Amino acid sequence: MLISAPDSHACQSINLVRREKKMKPGLTAQAETKWRTAAQEHVYGRRLLEALRPTGGAPAGPRAVKEAADSALALTARGQSRWSRAILLGRCRPRRKLLLKAGGRIRRGRRHPRPSAPVPQQQVSPELRGKKVKDRLRVLGRLVPGCRKLSASGLLEEAADYVAALEMQVKTMRALTEALSAASLSAGATGEPGS
Amino acid sequence: MEPGGSSGVGSGNSGTYTPEIAESLRFEEEIQSLIHQSFDGSSAAGGSFTALLGLPANQAVELLHHPGPGEPPASAASSSPTAGDLWRLRLGEHHAATDALRLPFGGSSTFVERAARFSVFATDDSPASSSGGGLSPGLKAEPPDSDSPPTLPAPAGRPRRPSKRKECEKSKAKAVAKKSKSAEENTSAVKPAAEENTSGDKLPYVHVRARRGQATDSHSLAERARREKINARMKLLQDLVPGCSKITGTALVLDEIINHVQSLQRQVEFLSMKLAAVNPRIDFSGLDHILSAECGPLAVGSGCGGGASGTAMWASDTAASTGGIRRMPPPQQIWHLDLVHPQQSSTVWENNGAAHPHFLLSPAISLVGYDPAGSVPLNSNQLKMEL
Repeated sequence: MLISAPDSHACQSINLVRREKKMKPGLTAQAETKWRTAAQEHVYGRRLLEALRPTGGAPAGPRAVKEAADSALALTARGQSRWSRAILLGRCRPRRKLLLKAGGRIRRGRRHPRPSAPVPQQQVSPELRGKKVKDRLRVLGRLVPGCRKLSASGLLEEAADYVAALEMQVKTMRALTEALSAASLSAGATGEPGS
Repeated sequence: MEPGGSSGVGSGNSGTYTPEIAESLRFEEEIQSLIHQSFDGSSAAGGSFTALLGLPANQAVELLHHPGPGEPPASAASSSPTAGDLWRLRLGEHHAATDALRLPFGGSSTFVERAARFSVFATDDSPASSSGGGLSPGLKAEPPDSDSPPTLPAPAGRPRRPSKRKECEKSKAKAVAKKSKSAEENTSAVKPAAEENTSGDKLPYVHVRARRGQATDSHSLAERARREKINARMKLLQDLVPGCSKITGTALVLDEIINHVQSLQRQVEFLSMKLAAVNPRIDFSGLDHILSAECGPLAVGSGCGGGASGTAMWASDTAASTGGIRRMPPPQQIWHLDLVHPQQSSTVWENNGAAHPHFLLSPAISLVGYDPAGSVPLNSNQLKMEL
């Protein structure tokens, strides 16, 4: 029910995703502005509601709700980020790896990082090869979906986008639940004296 | 009548090749594509570009080494594809190949000797001469990988000349390469020349600039570019995550970021649990109406059956601190799902306010209590404003 709806969404939107991946050049520095607009909240809210609709009959498990929310979020990202593609294609199994890899290359056109020679560094964060930093980068890669084997720069970019998207998701979901609960309360209240 | 490029070919100076160098860099790819396209359909007609390339190598090399001023058009048309010819053919394609071809052979002998030398270098692959030879291994990789081996000397003679010019213009080429961010290959190719070039900081690169006292070979340049990119992204993340700007040190910042991401994910889970609990009580056909700014509340009211007490207890847990929530908060709050039409929501409020006057009191009360512990959603802000 709930899972099937995002599934159809995802499979339908894969073509859209592929087209848009080729169009968009890059993702840097857009993370905040892109996700903080109210318009995105609307878009996401609507998508979420649409995704939640079919569960009217049977009781929906919270896990299914969460997955629907994440899929809706990934849809709203329009497939420009690696994590969104990972989420969407995680539901729809067969084409997953191919599209993920293709999407990454087409979109950014970046080359795979060369093996770095030990060079004296004078930059801001000289710890880029430190153990702690590497461990944390690995943990971050596990947290962000679809970013396990990613270079540091790509990972940081995905993480920025993901954090912005998550914040918007939390905001919208909170508003939605409050509104819905309010509606159900009032409806229940009016229903009782009325019936 | 000769075009300007031909005079440059004759003189052999580097300066006059300037307009053609950038083109030559593109020519090689185009040439290859053309080779593949029309290799079969090569005709011996004069003026046909492909005819030049269809010629087997030995004839081409012969023509290179033994120039003749008055060559018959047939052989001239099928002579070797020199770079100068190709340039001229690109520039003025209406020119007959014969005219173009007669030039280098009718020109100065020094040019021909140089061409001969280059073809020798192509086969030997030894950096005998100046950096022109040093550049040749790198450049040679570009065109001939698709060419068939017998035609190797002839087309190899082609890149030699552009490589020679390229050496003089290597700085610009390198800037171009850096700009397109395909720096790795080109920098490795022009590596020996790059050192003398970048140390003096004469030429500003688009992305990376060699600072004073820093290593300037191509490896460290790429390294520096990568590091700066990573630092820029770290800064972005720091701005995004609250409370990270004060922290110094990459590891701690990353710690904060990880914590933030985990907390956000946990919040999403929690909210989804809430939403799942609220869900079965809502009639979604009613919500459909609500979203399109129709007379929603009635549909919502009709859809809800029993379980009102359950929802009431639930709402008191989740919504806010005041117990006043349990008292009929108006269904108008549902309107704020439809954030696209805030004006309509206000009108509906008025309508419903006329119908149910007692509801007007409760919004004021419940609004105060509705402030959630965390962030204040956009909806409640609008509510307050419109009241």
